Amino acid sequence: MLKIALVGNPNSGKTTLFNGLTGSNQFVGNWPGVTVEKKSGKLKYQDFEAEIIDLPGIYSLSTISLEEEIAVRFVIENKMDLIINIVDASSLERNLYLTYQLLDSKIPMIVALNCMDIVQKKLQQIDIKKLEDELQIPVIPITASKKTGINDLIKLIAAYDYAGQKHEHRYEDQIEKTIEVFENLIGDRFLAIRFFEDGLKILEPLKLPPEANAKMIEAYERESKHYQIDFDMVIPNSRYDAIIAVCEIVLTKNGTDVISVTEKIDKILTHKWIGLPLFGLIMFMVFFLAFGPIGTWITDWFVFGIEWLFSRVDTLIANLGMMPWVSSLITNGVFGGLAAVIGFLPQLAILFLFMAILEDSGYMSRAAFIMDRLLRKFGLSGKAFIPMLIGFGCSVPAMAATRTLDKDEDRKITTMIIPFISCGAKAPIYGVFAGALFFRASYVAVFSMYVLGIIVAILSAVMFKKTILKSASANYIMELPEYRMPTVKNTMLHTWERVKGFLLKAGTILLGAFIIIWFLSYFGFVDGTFRMLMEDEIEHSILGAVGKFLLPVFRPIGFPDWQATVAMLTGLVAKESVVGTLGILYGVAGNVVENGSLLYEPIRLAFTSAQAYAFMAFALLSTPCIAAIAAMKKEFNSWKWLIFSLLYEFVVAYLVALIIFQVGSLDQGVILSIIFGIIAIMIVVFSIRKFVIKRGAICDSCVNCSIKDNCHLPKKDEFLAIIDQKKEDDQDDRE
Amino acid sequence: MTLKDILPGEKCRIKNIYVNNLRKRIIDMGLTTNTEITVKKMAPLGDPMEILVRGYLLTLRKAEARMIEVEKIGGSS
Repeated sequence: MLKIALVGNPNSGKTTLFNGLTGSNQFVGNWPGVTVEKKSGKLKYQDFEAEIIDLPGIYSLSTISLEEEIAVRFVIENKMDLIINIVDASSLERNLYLTYQLLDSKIPMIVALNCMDIVQKKLQQIDIKKLEDELQIPVIPITASKKTGINDLIKLIAAYDYAGQKHEHRYEDQIEKTIEVFENLIGDRFLAIRFFEDGLKILEPLKLPPEANAKMIEAYERESKHYQIDFDMVIPNSRYDAIIAVCEIVLTKNGTDVISVTEKIDKILTHKWIGLPLFGLIMFMVFFLAFGPIGTWITDWFVFGIEWLFSRVDTLIANLGMMPWVSSLITNGVFGGLAAVIGFLPQLAILFLFMAILEDSGYMSRAAFIMDRLLRKFGLSGKAFIPMLIGFGCSVPAMAATRTLDKDEDRKITTMIIPFISCGAKAPIYGVFAGALFFRASYVAVFSMYVLGIIVAILSAVMFKKTILKSASANYIMELPEYRMPTVKNTMLHTWERVKGFLLKAGTILLGAFIIIWFLSYFGFVDGTFRMLMEDEIEHSILGAVGKFLLPVFRPIGFPDWQATVAMLTGLVAKESVVGTLGILYGVAGNVVENGSLLYEPIRLAFTSAQAYAFMAFALLSTPCIAAIAAMKKEFNSWKWLIFSLLYEFVVAYLVALIIFQVGSLDQGVILSIIFGIIAIMIVVFSIRKFVIKRGAICDSCVNCSIKDNCHLPKKDEFLAIIDQKKEDDQDDRE
Repeated sequence: MTLKDILPGEKCRIKNIYVNNLRKRIIDMGLTTNTEITVKKMAPLGDPMEILVRGYLLTLRKAEARMIEVEKIGGSS
């Protein structure tokens, strides 16, 4: 079957076109870099059949992020039968750059000129015929979002002459001479051009013998002397010159050059003074709607419905007269666990919906733009803000949102620190403990938990960057896409994709985990016989035994009894169940989840305030719930990283709780210990921050640089010296 | 002068790019010698900056802008 790849700039409408061509529903967003993995689908038209592959968006064949690397490797190494290069007509100049790079590869290509509606709105005209003549490849005008022109494109794909001669773009004479020198050494024109642009990096996968490599370097040095401008800028410059010439021929502008509507909206949304408060307000609204009264109200009804459904099934099962362990497995293990997870669903769906709207409209890019400065201080890119923010609601969607980050290392750091951010499910734990022991200061205690989580997250990010993930760059250079009205269909698809992902996870990995935990908590030895336990016999369960066994480990951090340990263990299923389990273990009659004050008395008897505070901190920071662990595994795609980060979280939680409890027990002055802890953390933060800022955001090493040792450009210090010199010259001129 | 010294609303033309980090990306995004740039605004916290280049909006940090040598064009102030 023919293989056809969709290649284009981020946010140029590739995925929308992919849906149009294959009919399958895909994830589409107005955020540069939404598609992370490649996706393929089938195009059928009469007798014609082909495989269509949707790749991550790229600005150029020289890549800086993992997902771009995937896209480029795929196109170059897999010898596509045809490339459909989707070009955003509303930003023709920049988009054609990739087109010209692709032309060098001599892979058959069709240009799909997208967003023709926006071009018309801007009162511009593009002469398709002339563009075809200039590029010497077929050009089809389309508007992917409105499905116009798609049929013409399909007809063209089916009728395309795959064996025909391919046009080759010629550069200026001097450049052609250099290309020829390189071509004679490597034996391939396309590689020669790539070497010209990117230097030695291109040669790495070829595994040339050292002599050949040395020859290439020598040629590179020699050829670079022929040019006035920096060698790596020669080809891009030539390309852009060619593109400007083409644009002058094909593009007629009747209006002004400004991006009027987008600019008007941005005047408000990224305004110097109101931009930041508006951003805060928008984020607050999203959270308020998802986790505030409305979200809670919908969730309550949803949970009510689910419980009603499950209870009907329960009675049905009870009437069937199955063995007690089977019905317990279904009602307590499967349904109990699923109810705990699916209970999140309405809030998650609301959150996903708003995130989809913000993404599709183009606001997310602005959010990153606004927050970049703040996050840079901690070695993160502005784009990391959104995942962290979502983390206050639930870690699961937050981890999925890390995919929008550029580099794999940045993605890993963000995924690892998300669990430290206090998610919605942890709130009841603080509520009960703070309510029982901190009285009037209870809200201060609860708020301090959120602050503690943020501080630990930031410190961890800084530490990871300093140690194991040094190559994380937190680079920032980002296009601000034009605002678009999100369509109902795309927004719904977007939301559904994510909800579906969550449900599938709940249905597979989580189910297994719930069954294991059910087994551990409903079976155990009573008076020497191994049997199934009643609801109130959890003390004798395996989990109870484990809790008792582990108690010595948790004593130093202030766990008063095995009940606390077991409650914390059940928190692995869902953090909400910590409070519920405590209720059962302390023998409280009534629903402690809905009425936390029932637990106040037993907690006051068992915990001192230092112990309670340590318990809260441990619940906040320790290993997240299974749903989050599953999401983490998906994002890391590596057991090694998963186990490392789970261990890390456990150790950090343990240490923090240890300090809180030990210091707090000294003189019973809990408040004092909190203050002390905060001051200590502040000192560490500031000392580390100083260190980070010193490093600066400009690269001052040649690690990861394409030309490495062979760089004849001055180093950073020399650059700065040059610029300072030029500034002085400017001043002299003026005087 | 460098791109960092250009005030919002002013136009300039690139003379040279000394950026080391992200160099390739900056060039590929269309910032090459003699390209015209209009500085649009700074982010609310003063950094990054937003520029109009080749008909689209690009945002980049001042750290990078500091390494792009430019000359001011039009309305000298």
